[in-house]
Amino acid sequence: MRIIVVIGRVLDPEGFVVNRRRGRIFVNREEYLIQPADRCALEAALRIKDSRSVDVEVVALPRCPLPDDDVLRLAVATGADRAIYLTGDGVAKADDAVMARILAAAVERLGGADLILTGATTMDTGQAQLAPRVAEALGWPQILDALHVEAADGRVTAILKEGNGYVTVETDLPAVVTVPQDTVKPRYPDGVRLINVYKREGEMATAVEEWDVAGLVDAEALQPLLEKRGQDFPPERERGVRASGTPEEMARAVADALGQRV
Amino acid sequence: MDFTFSPEHVALRRMIREFAENEVAPIAAEIDREGRVPFETLKMMGEIGLLGVCFPQEYGGMGAGETGYCILMEELGRVCTSTATNVGAHIGIGAMSIYLDGTEEQKQKYLNPLARGEKMGAFVLTEADAGSDAAAIRTRAVREGDSWFLDGTKTFNTNGSFAEIVTVLAVTDPTLGARGGITAFIVESDTPGFEVGTHENKMGIRGSSTAELIFDGMRVPHENVLGKVGEGFVSFMKTLDMGRLTLGAACLGGAQAALDWSIEWAKTRKQFGVQLAHKQSVQWMIANMATEVEALRSLVYRVAWMVDTGQPFSQLAAMCKMYGSEVASRAIDMALQIHGGLGYTRDFPIDRAFRDARIAEIFEGTNEIQRIVIASNIFRQHGVRIRP
Amino acid sequence: MEFTFSEEQQMFRTMFRDFSTKEVAPRAEEIDHEEKPPPDVLRKAANQGFLGATLPEEYFGAELDYVSFALLIETLARDCMSTAVTLATHVSLVAMSILDHGTDGQKEEWLPQMAAGEMIGAFALTEPDAGSDAAGGNMAHSDGTTLQTRATPDGDDVILDGVKTWVANGGIAGLFLVFAQGPEGVDAFLVPKDTPGLTVGYREPTLGLRGMTFNTLYLENCRVAAGNRLGTPGQGGAVAQRARNRMAVVLAAAGLGVSEEAVDVAVQFASERVQFGVLIAQKQAIQSYVATAFAEVEALRYLVYHAAWLVDQGGDLSVDASVVKAFGARTARSVTNGMLQVMGGYGYMEDYPMARKYRDARALGIIGGPTELHHVRVAQRIFAEQDVEIAP
Repeated sequence: MRIIVVIGRVLDPEGFVVNRRRGRIFVNREEYLIQPADRCALEAALRIKDSRSVDVEVVALPRCPLPDDDVLRLAVATGADRAIYLTGDGVAKADDAVMARILAAAVERLGGADLILTGATTMDTGQAQLAPRVAEALGWPQILDALHVEAADGRVTAILKEGNGYVTVETDLPAVVTVPQDTVKPRYPDGVRLINVYKREGEMATAVEEWDVAGLVDAEALQPLLEKRGQDFPPERERGVRASGTPEEMARAVADALGQRV
Repeated sequence: MDFTFSPEHVALRRMIREFAENEVAPIAAEIDREGRVPFETLKMMGEIGLLGVCFPQEYGGMGAGETGYCILMEELGRVCTSTATNVGAHIGIGAMSIYLDGTEEQKQKYLNPLARGEKMGAFVLTEADAGSDAAAIRTRAVREGDSWFLDGTKTFNTNGSFAEIVTVLAVTDPTLGARGGITAFIVESDTPGFEVGTHENKMGIRGSSTAELIFDGMRVPHENVLGKVGEGFVSFMKTLDMGRLTLGAACLGGAQAALDWSIEWAKTRKQFGVQLAHKQSVQWMIANMATEVEALRSLVYRVAWMVDTGQPFSQLAAMCKMYGSEVASRAIDMALQIHGGLGYTRDFPIDRAFRDARIAEIFEGTNEIQRIVIASNIFRQHGVRIRP
Repeated sequence: MEFTFSEEQQMFRTMFRDFSTKEVAPRAEEIDHEEKPPPDVLRKAANQGFLGATLPEEYFGAELDYVSFALLIETLARDCMSTAVTLATHVSLVAMSILDHGTDGQKEEWLPQMAAGEMIGAFALTEPDAGSDAAGGNMAHSDGTTLQTRATPDGDDVILDGVKTWVANGGIAGLFLVFAQGPEGVDAFLVPKDTPGLTVGYREPTLGLRGMTFNTLYLENCRVAAGNRLGTPGQGGAVAQRARNRMAVVLAAAGLGVSEEAVDVAVQFASERVQFGVLIAQKQAIQSYVATAFAEVEALRYLVYHAAWLVDQGGDLSVDASVVKAFGARTARSVTNGMLQVMGGYGYMEDYPMARKYRDARALGIIGGPTELHHVRVAQRIFAEQDVEIAP
């Protein structure tokens, strides 16, 4: 069985400070984490791997353009069998639409897969569209925001939140499933694997392969939908009204403020 | 000169920091209060390979070298000195002694489970009359055929109360003293005659175990002699050197924590309407702390590099321990002063760090011994031989 | 200049020493480990007249001069710093404030009970939040200008509202000296423990001085008679200042006591401990630690007794109080640290007295005002002589 986990990285929020007054973000410490939801997806994949008597291969792919393969190495250190690092000019400006096409092509190049797991949302941009786009590109069913995932005998079973309770959803493999962050406690990387995959030694020497996207999709497929034209802070949040005085005075002030807004 | 860490060490530090913050830090106050060793945390560390961080992979270790071990001790020292102590005694002197002096069989049999964290280790030396004067030990080992029988009492031992594999130093020839009279033995703690005595009530590092060990006609097979008969003291010196460096790394972590807390407090706390950060007395303390931390950091990782590249490091290791312990003590003292009353209550981590830091100038060779080692080394290079 | 204690003071010193050795020393470890103030020891101290040490006979005090009182605190601190500082708080901060500023009626009502040890005094000045002028909580002393605790007149009474932190003796006191912001400035009030609206709260779990209680005090609509005000309206700042100056001297005396005992203990250890075939006393490094500590102790001794003598002379004590307090804190820290090192591993074990002394001594850098603020006060006086005004 092959499970693909799509992993991205995010700037560590503890390493930067947003100063609205100066209109700047001060990065004191530039460090990256695995997207928390993607990390949960990886954990879900590894738990399926741990529980099966049949061999499961877990392959990590990137969810976005990456300047280095660090986060993929981390995925291998944590237990993924291998990772594919996508390089080439084509991937540098890829948005989710382009990544979906690239990933679909990569899956084919790998010789197919049974399950694609990834995080439900990205922590920094709040995006949730990559997984549905990949599912559409591959023509596979998709299950989003699965709190628990099991895969066996050609079927995937997921538990989702619905209202105040839960619902179980099943479908045939192959399928795309997304996992929200904070659903499972992710395991720590294994020390020996970590040292070896970063030193590129022993079995881990070839664990991360580099593929040029030019070999996966043509130039047209690499055209992004989005064009980034700049960045700015969101508008200031309006503050509320503080009422003081006697209860009668306060009630009057609140009623007036509501009357102006509604 | 390249002062950057290699990619595997960067990745290792990140992993350890996350582990330390999620698993070690949250229970640091509790294990201090309850005076218990966090076995569950040690087990988790073993499972991901941390308890064999510096040993080669062929012996069950992680292969991250002395640099990797310093990183581990620094990150642990940053959040919990007790845990750093437990780990340091296990890796740095317990397992390390077997790594440095063991035969292949001994390494496979004993180092492997220690490196994997399947068993815990300790190094047993100190006695009531043999503290700084370690050669004055009196625990006796007498040979009978293929066995040695050990009798004696050891004091102030770290980990000995729960470790399964311990290295014990005993006198095999009372006429010879340090040169030729002392032998190291690998002892399994479930051997009949191995008893745990009183547990010490310490001011700090209360999440670590310091206990008396009593050997009463304890039989150790001859194949468990570590190194050569009579050469135990000399090989102990080598082990100790390694331990000194990594204790310096733990002190670095502690000093960094003190600095970080102080900066945070100085940003937050106001006095006479002004943040403490604007007070020169506070600025001076922070600047002094930060400078010493940087100097210590450079020293520790330079010496780690020297170990990893096979260069002599004994004198520098002693400096790491001596300077590191004093930097940490100064830093935490300043942090306590900056925090005022809140630094003096057990509701903040400063009190614990203050009590914990104090032992570093005493154990693993008092700073007085470190100074003797350093001065002796220096003068020997100039042809003058100093006796302790 | 006469540098010896009078015959009477020497006699007192012997008496204090006998008492402390017999009644305090045997209980010191337990007081610290159990973190329990010792009512039995305080009772016995009261029987000796110690709880009214400096009070006049008419209030059942022992009429000791302040030098003798400092000797008492020094002696007790040798064995148990918690006991010493408890007593110092009771006498110097509370009882002597009543003596200095109280009406005859107040003195008659409170002082005999305090001297008898039936009513322990606690001092409630520090507050949790830094007001714009009041120094931040954390046992830093306020300069008394803007407190958050309010004293609102209501007819013949005053209503007290606010929170006090780090109230020394809070857990054992029957009488609280509370400082609050009244209409004319800071006021001082004598508030008995059972007054409705006064609640003794959280006890700080301290690193040292574990035989003392430092509590949070809640005043919620706490009504006291105007007759409970100590001193005139707006005089509270001066009351607090004088009290803290007196206290600074005896805190330094406690520092002296814990330091000299630390030296004695370490010297005895060094005289018995053999390593490398000789007593460690034969090692120059050890000699240096001991000699340095000894010199610091001697310097502190004369500073303390000079300051205590100044208390007896009357007059403004501010700078001398800050000097002796800052020096005492530094000495106690340095000496206990050095003497712990002499004892090696044994200095780190709570079964030996050194660890406790080390933890207790550290308090002096913070209680009674952090050293940094004392330095500012001294600098203010020094530069004032050059007509340069230094802001706090």
